[in-house]
Amino acid sequence: MPRDASTDKPLVELVNVTKIYPPDIIALEDVSLRIYKGEILFLTGMSGAGKTTLIKLICCLENPTRGVIEVAGRDLSRISPAGVQRMRQKIGVAYQEFRLLEKQTVLQNIAMAMEVTYASTKAIHARVDELLALLNLSDKRDKLAGELSRGEQQRVALARAAANGPSLLLADEPTGNLDPVATELVINLFRHLNEKNGSTIVVATHDPSIYAETEHRVMMLSNGQLSAHPNRAPRQIDLFEA
Amino acid sequence: MQFLAYILRQTGKNLRQTWGTQVMTLLTVTLSVLIFAFFFLIYTNMIRASQRLGDDVRLIVYLDQEVTEQMRPGIEKKIREFGPVEKIVFVSRAEAFSRLSAQLDKEKDVLADLGPDFLPPSIEVYPLKNLHDLTKISQFSDFLLSLPHAAKVQSGSDWLRRFGYFTNLLRVVVLLSGGLLIITMTFIISYTLRLTVLSRQGELEILRLLGATSAYIRLPLLLEGMMQGFLGSSLGLTALYFLYQYIASRFSGPGFLRLFDFAFFPVELTGAILLAGVVLCTAGSLFSIRRFIRI
Repeated sequence: MPRDASTDKPLVELVNVTKIYPPDIIALEDVSLRIYKGEILFLTGMSGAGKTTLIKLICCLENPTRGVIEVAGRDLSRISPAGVQRMRQKIGVAYQEFRLLEKQTVLQNIAMAMEVTYASTKAIHARVDELLALLNLSDKRDKLAGELSRGEQQRVALARAAANGPSLLLADEPTGNLDPVATELVINLFRHLNEKNGSTIVVATHDPSIYAETEHRVMMLSNGQLSAHPNRAPRQIDLFEA
Repeated sequence: MQFLAYILRQTGKNLRQTWGTQVMTLLTVTLSVLIFAFFFLIYTNMIRASQRLGDDVRLIVYLDQEVTEQMRPGIEKKIREFGPVEKIVFVSRAEAFSRLSAQLDKEKDVLADLGPDFLPPSIEVYPLKNLHDLTKISQFSDFLLSLPHAAKVQSGSDWLRRFGYFTNLLRVVVLLSGGLLIITMTFIISYTLRLTVLSRQGELEILRLLGATSAYIRLPLLLEGMMQGFLGSSLGLTALYFLYQYIASRFSGPGFLRLFDFAFFPVELTGAILLAGVVLCTAGSLFSIRRFIRI
């Protein structure tokens, strides 16, 4: 169910964020956004609208040209490199380009995310098996990632992002290569993480099928500017005055 | 515990991924340590030998006339006034003849036609053991030559001087090979780690994205350098030990090595060389890590 934005504290807060890539490509312009704990937020928009940039800014892969970004109450521009690494352990990111190690197995790829937190081997194996079952990839556990189809690789990337039961999961075009059945599995995974772990989930997508029926907030990015999705009810909009 | 297990596992993974380079690195480190330790071993033995020779220094003043019992205290006083000596021994012609006769043992017949007067009388001066300075020995020698009836002074200082030159030359070789060791070890380890980092570039990038800490990424690489240093130094020293055993067994007996009491490094020095190898390789790793890994 959607969260009550008026009472919850935001987990992520962007205040007048602008991102300009050299020489003068404006990816995001004066974007302000609050994402609340336990919320599922869909970010929609055409390719090049700024969805990926927004995700990269939240996970510290990029720095804003202007504006402030806070995650769990901490200003990202003031976090030390070690602090960024600790924060990344709690944020799961499923990249659009997957970023898997093709010469390693599915198990090894997913396990990496937990290994950096020094989880026990037993816990890693149990979690990997659970996630693979949820994504219908159990039989691919020991296959090399490079031998999988694009759709399977995408699900492995999602499993890796979800491995640590992150407090924030950022998924960039998570269903771009999936058929409807696999898309349903991914949506179920998001629901599972959200309900079981209380994870906040941000899904950047241009696939209307995954947010068409949702009760959750849907925002639209267009030419670097954030607005409410035209087809969504006004109560779900949380653009605020800085 | 879990942390250590991960670090070790990652180190193992690094070693497996670049095993060919790792073997070459290990060989280079081993050879570097072997070359340095070989010269250092010779040097330390030479130093000990020169100390022993210094301890055995005695100055023999050959006289053209016997020293009577009455003259002895005066001469002894004069010598002791110049510098402290351990002992002074007056050797008469007869005593010198008797000594030579004893030394020749079964061959003493050759002295049969020579009278006991053919050897000159002498004074043997034994300086204190701390008198290792060749200049001082030389000054002492000049002084002794000025004694009444002194015909010649034999000090062995020329031989000691030449030995000193050789030891100095060896010191230079040791320093050069030490420098070579430092350059080789740090450079080769740095180069190997660079290859490791390049071969794992993609993985390190993903680890960074997943929140791997600096320790998680860097410690295995540091450990890799330490292991190379430890293994390379151990192998180098082991090879040197076998070489030493071979030389010692082949040249044992009343020859050069017996004279110099050729010995291997004491345990402390062996440990110090091993430690130096580990420290140098670790430094090479650190250099590479700081240069090529940005977290």
